[in-house]
Amino acid sequence: MTNASRRQFLRRLAALSGATAGTWLLAACGESSPPATQESMPTAAESATAAREPATPASESAPSAKPSDSSASVDKPYLVVARGGDQPEELVRRSIAALGGMERFVKPGANVIIKPNICVAYHTYEYAATTNPWVVGALVKLCREAGAGRVRVMDSPFGGTAEQAYARSGIQEQVLAAGGEMETMQRLKFVATDIPEGKDIKNWNIYDDILQADVVIDVPVAKDHGLARLTLGMKNLLGVVEDRGSMHRNMGQRLADLTSRVRPALTVVDAVRMLMANGPTGGDLGDVKKMDTIVASADIVAADSYAATLFGLQPADLAYITAGAAMGLGRSDLANLKIEEIAVGG
Amino acid sequence: MSPTARAITPRRWTRLRKLVQVLALAAFVALVLFGRSGALPPDIANIAMRLDPLAVLAHLLSSKVFLAGSALALLVVGLTLLFGRAWCGWLCPLGTALDLFSLRRMRGKRRAPSDAWRGAKYFVLLTLLVAAYAGNLTLMVLDPLTIAYRTLSTSLLPATDQIVRLVEQALYAVPFLRQSVGTLDGLIRPALLPVDPFYYRDALLFLMLFAGIVALNAFAQRFWCRYLCPLGGLLGLLSKVSLVRREVIETQCTHCDACARRCPTGTIQFTHSAGGSESAARAASLPPGASDPSECTMCLECLPACPQGATAFTLHKAPAQWNRYDPNRRMALASVATAALGIGVLSSELAAGRDTPHWIQPPGARENDLLSKCIRCGQCARACPTGAIQPALFEAGVTGLWTPVLMPRVGYCDYSCNACGQVCPVQAIPPLPLEEKRLQVIGKAYIDTTRCIAWADHVDCIVCEEMCPLPDKAIKLEVAEVRTADGAPVTVRLPQVNRDRCIGCGICDYKCPVNGQSAIRVYAPPA
Repeated sequence: MTNASRRQFLRRLAALSGATAGTWLLAACGESSPPATQESMPTAAESATAAREPATPASESAPSAKPSDSSASVDKPYLVVARGGDQPEELVRRSIAALGGMERFVKPGANVIIKPNICVAYHTYEYAATTNPWVVGALVKLCREAGAGRVRVMDSPFGGTAEQAYARSGIQEQVLAAGGEMETMQRLKFVATDIPEGKDIKNWNIYDDILQADVVIDVPVAKDHGLARLTLGMKNLLGVVEDRGSMHRNMGQRLADLTSRVRPALTVVDAVRMLMANGPTGGDLGDVKKMDTIVASADIVAADSYAATLFGLQPADLAYITAGAAMGLGRSDLANLKIEEIAVGG
Repeated sequence: MSPTARAITPRRWTRLRKLVQVLALAAFVALVLFGRSGALPPDIANIAMRLDPLAVLAHLLSSKVFLAGSALALLVVGLTLLFGRAWCGWLCPLGTALDLFSLRRMRGKRRAPSDAWRGAKYFVLLTLLVAAYAGNLTLMVLDPLTIAYRTLSTSLLPATDQIVRLVEQALYAVPFLRQSVGTLDGLIRPALLPVDPFYYRDALLFLMLFAGIVALNAFAQRFWCRYLCPLGGLLGLLSKVSLVRREVIETQCTHCDACARRCPTGTIQFTHSAGGSESAARAASLPPGASDPSECTMCLECLPACPQGATAFTLHKAPAQWNRYDPNRRMALASVATAALGIGVLSSELAAGRDTPHWIQPPGARENDLLSKCIRCGQCARACPTGAIQPALFEAGVTGLWTPVLMPRVGYCDYSCNACGQVCPVQAIPPLPLEEKRLQVIGKAYIDTTRCIAWADHVDCIVCEEMCPLPDKAIKLEVAEVRTADGAPVTVRLPQVNRDRCIGCGICDYKCPVNGQSAIRVYAPPA
């Protein structure tokens, strides 16, 4: 009896190890396939002047840039700035509507990831270290209204746990109320990913779901940063990679390289409150400037360029904007862009 | 048999006990599992330690402060006064683990060590209490609950996590399993297992110590509980006057020895089965089949073992007999001498004379005389969300063995967290409100300019400045014109620490991208 059950146990163990070994083998075979589909993306240079549209969920897994899209942007502004009022949600709604509505970015059933800046668990949103909760909530609502399948919101804080940070930032409450999900970013899903257009980095561990999502919406809070000078849309993408410390070497180029791979379909810069100093962590209300402004564009470089001017800087002052424009990821020549300014009363 | 016992058959009694044991062990494991900050209210998370009369008594003697929350231990004291060492037989997680890994086959027919060794646990207990009165709690590393908690939290749980991680990674690499593995991972993390793996210093050592305690079972069943456990000793002394005790109904007993052979602590004595000479002497003065309530764990195994139904658990008022191995004057003197010598030697250690620079204590602990209050339970290390709190090895000398020490390169003291002080069952780490904790200085950061990327390689990095959580950052960047080794001028942002503001949280040390040892290190603050 004892011997038999032991034998059974050993047999099961052998079967299990066999299965695991088989898995490894399968894994080894499967590794080359997912990046291959990404490499066939059109180069960024072609799409530089085009407003990007996300691919429909059925056809491709990553937002792709199509040169023919430029016709779509003829009558619509390239970038929208909404100002005023005391309702961040209203600012978001008006700017997205001006850009052509969320339907332009989110097709019915689309798998959407919204990436706010929830970098630390230290402070509430008033300190402007994290994105305004109502801005994120409004985007979740708009995505749901556009018929999105799944709307997830995520970031990986560097100070404190995601659980704490999601709660303290107030973002969790607004996202859940708007019908979105908060996802704790899982170590498992950071996978070594080729960056075919990368100039400095050719491969980095990037969050798989971000790459697989139909639509990525980048929602940075505009704030001060010691090295990058400002944390905006491109800098906010640092939250989707591992080994962020090393990203700080030659940061401008590396952020542009990362952006070339992640390609948010829409960038919404939250300048409702801007952190003017002691960023990115903040903690002093004296460093916070209330601007009640939202900058939105399908072009992340353009959105960042405009947001830089809110701090009195020029786009060329930020290394990642320069690098991004040089790579053709978007435009920083604000004077040549069709910009719509919306004044929201209140 | 007592009236209550008659209602339930003997077999059911032991089954009930086993059920209670498994539930109690499961509850304890759950407390460890959910011991991370935020999973449970701290007063629930630390409930096991506050139930532990040894931890509470030792802390009381050492700190001379009685904490209201510690009154919970009176429950176990009350339980013991009613039912003897029922804690050991029914509830103790370590005891249950020793029952699960009984090593019956390895033990075979080996004769247990002499009864005289039963005195060892009283010697450990008395030495521990005397040392505690003198302000030393080092021996609390031998408390069974601290052993169980440490083993689970620093080795078994992280090991389980690593195994799960390996399996998940293997399966995640398979394209068609990717989604379901991702979903599963999202369900178990952070609910059950940590998002980022935890690493503990000496994880293997803690497992080996636990394995060693289990291995002793090969010499005698529940070796630890019989001969070594100081909590068992404390409850054993209380059991001398416990109300319900085991007895043998002489008129029904046939001296068959069945109960003595079944007894897991070997306390049931018949003249012909007695081991050493002391046992024979004791057995001669007692009725056949008698047992020592200080050794009996009330496991009730003797009930179904007796073919005659001659075992009963009845009410007793008179104190039980004092045995040769029970504490006596000589043992008391020996433990005083041992405690004195031990404290003397530990106090002459280098670490006692001069703080080691790496003895960085949890917030507020330094000002609170941690060593004389900490019961070495390791709950703070478990609660710490970044894994910064590690069991001290020699940072505080042998005196401070396995007290909490922060290792900034392993984890940082999170600016949004005060969990360690909240969960500490004896307030050795003070329960500071978050606002106060944020001001608490636990160390000071110093830049190693020979290794810093900006200072030594003249390349912008600023990670330490970026990470500094203070509203007015304690690390500032100075834009400087410097010359490289080749004489070329470059502009670089050099980090500088404002030591007046630095609180020593260590996030700069932790995040510094320099390989191996950080180029910005946190040291214990000046006294």
